[in-house]
Amino acid sequence: MNRMPDAVYREFEAVVGRRNISRDPAVLETYRAIPAQSSDHRGPHEGKTPMPQAVILPGSTEEVQGVVRLCNRYGIQFKAATTFWSVMGYIGSEASVQLDLRRMRTFEIDARNQVAVLEPYVIGGAIQAEAMKVGLTLNIPGVGCSSSVVASTAGWVGFGPTSISMGCASENMLGAEWVLPSGEILRTGSLGAGAGWFCGEGPGPSLRGILRGKQGTAGSFGVCTRMAVRLHPWPGPAAIPTRGTVPAYKASLPDNFKAYTLCFPTWEAYADAIRLFHENDVLFLGHRQFNMFGRDIKAAMIRILNDPDLQLADLPALCEDPYLKEQNEKMKIDIQVILAGQTARDTDYKEMAVDRILEITGGWKSEMMLDKELADWVLLYLIRMGHKNLNYVLCGAYEGNFGLSSNVYVSASVMEEASDLKRKWEEQGTAIAAVGGDSDMGSICIMGGGGSTGWEFFTHFDAYEKASTRGTAEFFNATQAWMNEKGLGVDMGKWNQSARRPDGFYFSQAEQDAMFEKLPQPLVTEYQFKVREAFNPNDLCGSYYRTLDPNRASRRRNEG
Amino acid sequence: MPLQDYRPMMERCSNCLNCRWVPFDKLKSLRFGENCPSVCYYGFGTYSARGRFQLGQSVLDGEVDESEAVGDIIHSCLACGACDVSCKVCRYNLEPLAHNLALKEEAVSRGWVKPAHRAIMEGLRTEQTMLPGRRKADRTAWQEGLGLKDVFQEKAEVLFFPGCKYAYEEDLREKTRGMVRLLKKAGVDLGVLGSAEACCGGRAADMGYADEARERVAANCRACGKAGVTTVVTPCADCLHAFKRQYAEAGATFEVLHVTEYLERLVATGALALPGRIPMTVTYHDPCKLGRQGEPYEAWNGVEKKIRNQIHTWDPKRPRYNGAYGVYDAPRRLLEAIDGVRLVEMERIREYSWCCGASGGCEAAEPEFSAWTASERVTEARATGAAAIATACPWCKGRLGTAVDENGDAMPVVDIVDLVLQAAGEVQA
Repeated sequence: MNRMPDAVYREFEAVVGRRNISRDPAVLETYRAIPAQSSDHRGPHEGKTPMPQAVILPGSTEEVQGVVRLCNRYGIQFKAATTFWSVMGYIGSEASVQLDLRRMRTFEIDARNQVAVLEPYVIGGAIQAEAMKVGLTLNIPGVGCSSSVVASTAGWVGFGPTSISMGCASENMLGAEWVLPSGEILRTGSLGAGAGWFCGEGPGPSLRGILRGKQGTAGSFGVCTRMAVRLHPWPGPAAIPTRGTVPAYKASLPDNFKAYTLCFPTWEAYADAIRLFHENDVLFLGHRQFNMFGRDIKAAMIRILNDPDLQLADLPALCEDPYLKEQNEKMKIDIQVILAGQTARDTDYKEMAVDRILEITGGWKSEMMLDKELADWVLLYLIRMGHKNLNYVLCGAYEGNFGLSSNVYVSASVMEEASDLKRKWEEQGTAIAAVGGDSDMGSICIMGGGGSTGWEFFTHFDAYEKASTRGTAEFFNATQAWMNEKGLGVDMGKWNQSARRPDGFYFSQAEQDAMFEKLPQPLVTEYQFKVREAFNPNDLCGSYYRTLDPNRASRRRNEG
Repeated sequence: MPLQDYRPMMERCSNCLNCRWVPFDKLKSLRFGENCPSVCYYGFGTYSARGRFQLGQSVLDGEVDESEAVGDIIHSCLACGACDVSCKVCRYNLEPLAHNLALKEEAVSRGWVKPAHRAIMEGLRTEQTMLPGRRKADRTAWQEGLGLKDVFQEKAEVLFFPGCKYAYEEDLREKTRGMVRLLKKAGVDLGVLGSAEACCGGRAADMGYADEARERVAANCRACGKAGVTTVVTPCADCLHAFKRQYAEAGATFEVLHVTEYLERLVATGALALPGRIPMTVTYHDPCKLGRQGEPYEAWNGVEKKIRNQIHTWDPKRPRYNGAYGVYDAPRRLLEAIDGVRLVEMERIREYSWCCGASGGCEAAEPEFSAWTASERVTEARATGAAAIATACPWCKGRLGTAVDENGDAMPVVDIVDLVLQAAGEVQA
């Protein structure tokens, strides 16, 4: 790897200060994503991402701008990240610098207008705690409360358990301040018209669609340095009162909060119930959470997580416990829901609505999860979303696959077949953890108010054991083949296979062209090529922003 | 366990960054939400437990041989264990603190040492204390005139082990003597190791000097065994941790109690009365070694075992030190037993307490970082409205007592023992 010339390094140093830049190998090595960091949606992989030329910690929008301008001057690629949950946040070429925005951590809450203005290092859990002090909260997406709100809102899909009542990232993003890949500063929405942060679109530049679209550009469109997000009413105390012994903390919330695990006799009934929840404004939060451990072990895992003296070594015995086996069977098709009544009458309505929906669909509340201690654990777990790292608890690595986002009736109709396919791989090989096939962790709402759902099977594997990694990749090939056969599109575990190469590097334009010219709708990526030319003329932000050179596409069309 | 044995953990840490924050369920604000002083101060992710796992891997793979900073980074860990607690809220197969210590040990073995540590270790080797410049011959001066039993000469119910700070430092010595007088007054049959008393070795282990630490553990274990010690009481959190964990691992079977635990027992049973009134609002700083690291030792000798194809477990079940059973309540109960004392809590307490900055060899080697860490704690304490910080460790008291908050203002720091002695009428306010 060519080292950055000393003179160039000193120019970066002059922007952020000596203390906030490093090219020491010991620092650089720790800014490479490793295989255990698997939630990149490009399937299990074996190598590290490339080593950056330098790691830079800017402390302000102006410093970010200074760094980006230097990158443009010297043709150096850059990527900004803050909480580094996904490999998407890492650089993908050796001629790159990594920006770590952890010094940018200010926030303001405008309670009257229900708006929070955040810098990138403000994580979901922190701003939730701050917002609750003034009777508000926010949608914490599936990535969990440990992640940057700015990153989740600007960079990726951003739905989560509370999306049914609060919407998704694209709906909660208001005014934003971006350092474009060219180094210019763009202020979007009302902010761009000097009218404050309250609106994501006009008055002012209505470029939310360009900058993040529906899915987000995975940090490949410059650097979002400040953003306003919508806050929502919180009908609870100014702080979540907690009790219990680590790690089995529980919330002590008032009676207007209820946590239930709702169970259904069939997937059809499950789909009907979710449709009814979408239609009737019942839920504060809805999510299929604990099934991520797997259909055969979830009751045992819930027991382990609620007892400070239990651990994974206790799993075999607990899985043989007749009571827990019975609970697994009863919770085979389940979701977790939280009701949060704004008034006593509202609480009564929501309780009655849940009961009525269960009556209509033949469903029931899990008795095990009605236990006060467990219900209070669920309340804390799902409201704070502070246990995201349990995704990794079984094997140290996981990737979500299948991952259809659709009308719930579509996903529900194929759920058992998908489970059977996974169970077959669990039983016939050893690459993936055997948890009972179905390990779907599904958001019952991926757009505000409902109408669409997501489902994602957590496939747990060991990134330390190459045979496990490779076997899991083969399993993903099998699930993709099944998805193709069913006409269900790209497996979630492969969504980003067109964004970063298996060796961790970005794709070149020629490689992207070769992929995207075969797409059924190539005009989208051709359009994005033109957008990139306008906003990112030196192509410095990597291949997560998918582009197809229109000239190449045109030649191809002419040849065809 | 040597560094290479941690490779599976290095490769299974998934960068969730729980290790940088208090357990999220306990998060109360952004200002006091983070838990790792090292990454907060130095900025780069390298300094977090996750960064250290990756650094460890790079050290083993020879990828950082040209690094100028590697030794400094490794030694900038306070060994406070906050990362360990937060990690284990969700993970059952990672040991960040143990790994950080193994990384320090590896650094020392490679000669990546801090100059400031050399003098400390020289003092340990020659004078058997972690306080450079102190002489072995002066260690027992605090015992003079107290009529303490020498446990080698006659049996005593309890061995009182003051630790280096309480034995040597002039401003603490009278307090040490006061503690002894108070315990004796309460009828406790006390003895000391006499001239065999020496450093526990715990702080050397936290600095990566494992051989020196083991030597101290072995020597003290031999001495305690020879004397037939059954119960050790110490006012030092570092000594408590060393005796409770490292000595137990070396085969010691005696009971180990912090002096606040012992005093609280005496108060609860009525053996000790605290008639004095101290009208004071205090906030309590949990010492890392007494709190989250003060859990009882459990012997284990096992191997990793996979179940259900790829789920990692241990065979037999491995002890899971995650702060669940540290010493948190006894100091608080003792404070509450004093008439007039009102306890208000900081945001980061108990198992997710913020370190004072005195540990891991950082106070000597990285004084600015150590002072900043303490400053953060004083700022947090100030926000409670308390008039003073109470703590239960001489290292914490010393570190916090010389720090100022973010506005440059100091705050009184008291040892709980100070308050107990005052309430018991042993000393005047």
